[in-house]
Amino acid sequence: MSDEAPPPNPEPDRATPAPAPGARPVPLFSFGRVATIASGTVTQLVRMKTFYFLLAFAAVVVAAGNFNLPATPAKELSMIKKVSFGTMDIFAWLFAIVATALLIPRDQEDRTLYTILSKPVRRIEYLLGKLGGVLVVVGVSLLAMYAICAVMIGAREALFVAAEVEAMTADGRYSDAEIAEQVGLIRQQGLRAELGIAVLASFFKAAVVAAVTIFLSTFASSSLFTIIVSILVFLIGHAHSMATSFWLHETNNSVFVQMLVKLIKILIPDFQLFSFSEGIVQGEPVVYALVWQMGAVTGAYLLVFLLLSLLVFVDKEF
Amino acid sequence: MNPEANTAGEVSAVEVSHLTKVFSLGLKREYVVAVDNLSFHVKAGEVYGLIGPNGSGKSTTMKVVLGLMAPSKGSAKVFGLDSGDIRARNEIGFLPENPYFYKHLSGAETLRFYGKLCGMKGRDLERRVDELLKLVDLEGAATRRLGGYSKGMLQRIGLAQALVQNPRLVILDEPTAGVDPIGSRQIRDLIMRLRDEGYTVFLCSHLLEQVQEVCDRVGILFRGRMRREGALEELISVDSQTSITLEGASPELLGKIRELVQRDEGTSLVAEGHPRTSLEHLFVRIAERGEDPQP
Ligand SMILES: Nc1ncnc2c1ncn2[C@@H]1O[C@H](COP(=O)(O)OP(=O)(O)OP(=O)(O)O)[C@@H](O)[C@H]1O
Ligand SMILES: [Mg+2]
Repeated sequence: MSDEAPPPNPEPDRATPAPAPGARPVPLFSFGRVATIASGTVTQLVRMKTFYFLLAFAAVVVAAGNFNLPATPAKELSMIKKVSFGTMDIFAWLFAIVATALLIPRDQEDRTLYTILSKPVRRIEYLLGKLGGVLVVVGVSLLAMYAICAVMIGAREALFVAAEVEAMTADGRYSDAEIAEQVGLIRQQGLRAELGIAVLASFFKAAVVAAVTIFLSTFASSSLFTIIVSILVFLIGHAHSMATSFWLHETNNSVFVQMLVKLIKILIPDFQLFSFSEGIVQGEPVVYALVWQMGAVTGAYLLVFLLLSLLVFVDKEF
Repeated sequence: MNPEANTAGEVSAVEVSHLTKVFSLGLKREYVVAVDNLSFHVKAGEVYGLIGPNGSGKSTTMKVVLGLMAPSKGSAKVFGLDSGDIRARNEIGFLPENPYFYKHLSGAETLRFYGKLCGMKGRDLERRVDELLKLVDLEGAATRRLGGYSKGMLQRIGLAQALVQNPRLVILDEPTAGVDPIGSRQIRDLIMRLRDEGYTVFLCSHLLEQVQEVCDRVGILFRGRMRREGALEELISVDSQTSITLEGASPELLGKIRELVQRDEGTSLVAEGHPRTSLEHLFVRIAERGEDPQP
């Protein structure tokens, strides 16, 4: 709207100012509109009580943390991390798929989309807003899940270290250096800043799946279909290199099959890119080149799938 | 800014010319012609009503005007701007048929959401939200979630939402569908008020009495084509016929009149009875015969 102060109202009783003559300028692209749709999406997901799944997650982590295994403390910590980070990852991508698949068809069915798109909103702004809203919720959930894990792992780690130090000191046969080495082994599997990279990997993975789901939901007619196909794409994406090398190197394949495989290779993101985070969870050192690569590839996939979605959505009739 | 200004220097609020909209059904080679070579315009400042039976293409026409659908042929313009132009949409407030908004938002939050989409913010937006809630008489329900609103309340919050950015043109698709007589009277009063305040209103309905009460001009749509159009008065008067409305006439007088008519060569008595809504009459005849009722 214009920044000028409205002219004094001659009739204080009038409920609305008289319409201004002439078309008012509208910005070509507005982050404000994207943010409005994104925050509307966040509100929607929050009020749908989707955050309750965090309780389920907390239950899994607590259960994993209290598993008593006949193993070394380091092994036990590693197990706790494996279960809780694995669950975190599954929750993130599954949530991203389901939330995204439900949102756009719902707007369309409820005809809320009519009212939104009949305001001066561009369709790309709508798509970006929806994706942004889902990602904010996924991001916040991941942080919350990470916090739950951190509390559990930190507590167990402190407990194990204290017990180890006590036991070794009581034994009396170990030097300080030996004790420090043992403690170091436990700390290696404990709460370390590098674990944040694994959370980031889960987030990026969820972002790519959400973009794939947005693309599918621009033309699919039902949420169920979108969810199932997205999950399929996700699973196939994990066998990416295996599948493509298998088909592409078969010599007796027809050109058609080769083309098909190439197309699928583009349309199905390679989710194996994100799997290096499993090593990080197991305490392996972080290869930063892989992290940068992951970031760049995530950005590229988001761009490609948003453009594909826009291609379908921009001329879509409601 | 008025590339399409006509000779009078005034640009039509809506200009639909030779609009055709064809839907193909599935993969089969089946088509539905929803709108067929439709041309009409809505002047700035008037209330224009599009009426027609179910499936006659009213909603489709409105969606094309809004840019939610592309025309198969022809064009639609809003204040001289192509429909679908984002600036055109800034000038339009739209209330869809059977509107649903986010059930999880309250009335005030809904208006704020749509206001922000139109680039409004801060105190301006808050003031506008309060104004509109007052206008549609929903101040008491401002903080209640829309999930608990009645049909009439939803329709009114929908109208408020349409007006949020203070558009020049308000498009209402069946604004009173499913609303009780008192509620629809409220909505009718609001429409009249909008006209008095200088808004252009383009509405469609099949509730004829209401159209008759609020519209300056109406177009009658049937199977996607414009059958009749014009000022309400012109439309519902039948030139070749004259009606005399008497009050307190005695049976003797009526007898004499009938006798006189019978004696006259070129005249015949077509109808006798109590006056009724003639627009409805016209509508039913068009719908029944599927053609222009004019002789
Ligand atoms: N998306 C669509 N796909 C296929 N056919 C459609 C579509 N939208 C409308 N139609 C068809 O176009 C015709 C006109 O529909 P439209 O909704 O414009 O009618 P209407 O005048 O608004 O009716 P109503 O009074 O029931 O709201 C109908 O025959 C309808 O079946
Ligand atoms: Mg309709």
